[in-house]
Amino acid sequence: MYFRFGSALLLVLAISLAGIVLEKRNLELRRRLTRQHYQTAVLLEKHAKLRLKTQRLGAPQRVLKALRPGQLDQRPAGDLPPASMRSIPLLPWQRQLPGTVRGQP
Amino acid sequence: MVSHDGPSESVVVSAASSAGEIEWLLMECTPLNKRLVWRMRSLIAGLIVMWLILAGRLVDLQWLRQANYARSARQQRLYVENIRARPGEIMDRDGRLLAMTVSARSLFINPSRLKTPWQTAQKLATALGENADQLFARFHAHADKQFLWVKRRLTDAQARRVRGLELPGDVWGFRDEYLRQYPQGTLAAHVLGLRDIDGNGRGGVEQSLDRFIRGVDGKRVMDRDARGHVLQVRDEVDAMPADGRSVRLTLDSVIQVFVERELDDVMQTWKPRSCAAIVLDPRSGEVLAMASRPGFDPNRPHVECDHAWNNTAVSAVYEPGSTLKPCIVAWALQQDRIQVSESLHCENGKYRMGRRLLHDHHSYGRLSIEDILVKSSNIGMAKIGERLGNEGLYRSVTRFGFGQRTGIRLHEELRGMVRPLKQWDVYSTGSVPMGQEIAVTPLQLIVAHAALANGGTLIRPRLVMNSQNSPGQTVDRVSTFCVKPAVANWVVRQAMHGVVQRGTGRKAQIAGVTMFGKTGTAQKIDPATGRYSSNRHVCSFVCGAPADAPRVMVLLVVDEPSVGAPHFGGTVAAPGASRILENALARAPRSSSSLQTAKK
Repeated sequence: MYFRFGSALLLVLAISLAGIVLEKRNLELRRRLTRQHYQTAVLLEKHAKLRLKTQRLGAPQRVLKALRPGQLDQRPAGDLPPASMRSIPLLPWQRQLPGTVRGQP
Repeated sequence: MVSHDGPSESVVVSAASSAGEIEWLLMECTPLNKRLVWRMRSLIAGLIVMWLILAGRLVDLQWLRQANYARSARQQRLYVENIRARPGEIMDRDGRLLAMTVSARSLFINPSRLKTPWQTAQKLATALGENADQLFARFHAHADKQFLWVKRRLTDAQARRVRGLELPGDVWGFRDEYLRQYPQGTLAAHVLGLRDIDGNGRGGVEQSLDRFIRGVDGKRVMDRDARGHVLQVRDEVDAMPADGRSVRLTLDSVIQVFVERELDDVMQTWKPRSCAAIVLDPRSGEVLAMASRPGFDPNRPHVECDHAWNNTAVSAVYEPGSTLKPCIVAWALQQDRIQVSESLHCENGKYRMGRRLLHDHHSYGRLSIEDILVKSSNIGMAKIGERLGNEGLYRSVTRFGFGQRTGIRLHEELRGMVRPLKQWDVYSTGSVPMGQEIAVTPLQLIVAHAALANGGTLIRPRLVMNSQNSPGQTVDRVSTFCVKPAVANWVVRQAMHGVVQRGTGRKAQIAGVTMFGKTGTAQKIDPATGRYSSNRHVCSFVCGAPADAPRVMVLLVVDEPSVGAPHFGGTVAAPGASRILENALARAPRSSSSLQTAKK
């Protein structure tokens, strides 16, 4: 009698503890997910701002002024990063450079 | 004798005595007792009424107005935060960013909690570069409010300075908002348009493609306590925002730079009211550049004159003048009303049509059809007009798309003006062939000439290449048969090529390039007299190259040049247009876009 009662009590206790552990784990994962979402948002924003800055610096309107009088040299094609890394055309004005693929950024 | 029914008797006696007491009470009803009874009855009645009222109120609350109160309670408890979707980017054909969105801080305060409004206004004014008096006046005017924007979309430096003020935490706060930025500055400002402070597209692509670019806002539902503090976020009813689609335009930023510089030069040299230029690929209808002056900076949208907002390339109409002549000649050839081998007598510079005396700039005798275009003879064109008749002329201008929108994705595009045929008279027979009595937009004109350049097919001009996030999307090229290829090729390769080689467009020649073109000098109506003015002109030049297989077409329109002389299309517009063409030829795609063509 006592044994059965004790076993049932222990079982209920064990299930409750397991539930609490799972709940805590769930909360922890959700917290981590939220933090990662936040970090992603911050990084995306940073990326957007850096991209904006890059585009401003490489704007044809700005760069052509310096290119014409020779204040700014065009980078030779050999110095360019691989095509996979370079998707947004900046300084090189050639339509198709060796090793580059025109495509969407 | 002992009685057995003693207790019963006593009960009877007791009951009798109780009844007797009540009877006595009733019998002994003094005024005091009556008042007591009355009070008790009133109390009971009052209690009943009160319970009835409470029951009625309960019914009212729980049944009749249950929905309203439940809604109010929900509104007080729940807070729905709108999560703005990030608008998509706009890029040129090479992927250079023309418009993008970044996040920026907006500053608000709670005026009702301001203890020292003047000092706060002074501090914020210093940090934000605003006027302290105006800021204080705003605080004062909204003193009972709990929310007031101080300044929206601060720069990073301004946000840092505001944080450095260390104002009380319950008085102020930042909210993140999206800020539209145009990294290329003023480049293609008219084509792009801008987004207002509430994120709505205004003008250009920003407005016409707003529903693609703006995205769909999301929402976040939160429970809050009586003080407004958030208790929990209800994940189950959240809706994530769907960011806007990125749009890739057909514009080429480098060609656009050349065009805008040329327009700036034209504005400086000729001081016109406005000017516009378009660069178009006649094979695909892709607009490679489009610009107008005066312009504006979408990052700092303030203009000196109101018409600086206008994209005159699509939203201004003018009489095309001689630039219309190739279209009329092509249609007359198409209809066999004239032959290329034919020549017409140009009456030595004076020709009477009804009550009207037509003039040429120079007196010409007999001119071939080619020379009529090369010399831009009005009398020769009037004679072609006589052969076509008003109906033929009407069909020619409508066939080349005048009087109807080209279909480019710019909401501000005008349809130009072609009057109904029944309003045309004998005057029209002489006027229309020389580009009067109809009004066109620069875009309509270059599209009509592109039809000649591509072998006789009128193509809908395109500004949007495709939309990102929809890779499977194909863009149909809508085109309409206009004139036979043989006719179009003759007009372009012979007549319009001759205009540049030995005609009115000689100043546009480019060494080593076989180009074609047509000048236009249209007189404007003087509003004071209602007649054509002798000193107000619209000078234009439309050209393209290479003549044997045109890849690029350029139109430059200069409205009312005010300094220098003479004001002809060949002197004002032709040199600038040819410089644009020269630069554009080096950049323009060698092969046409592989698009699906759908004949209408």
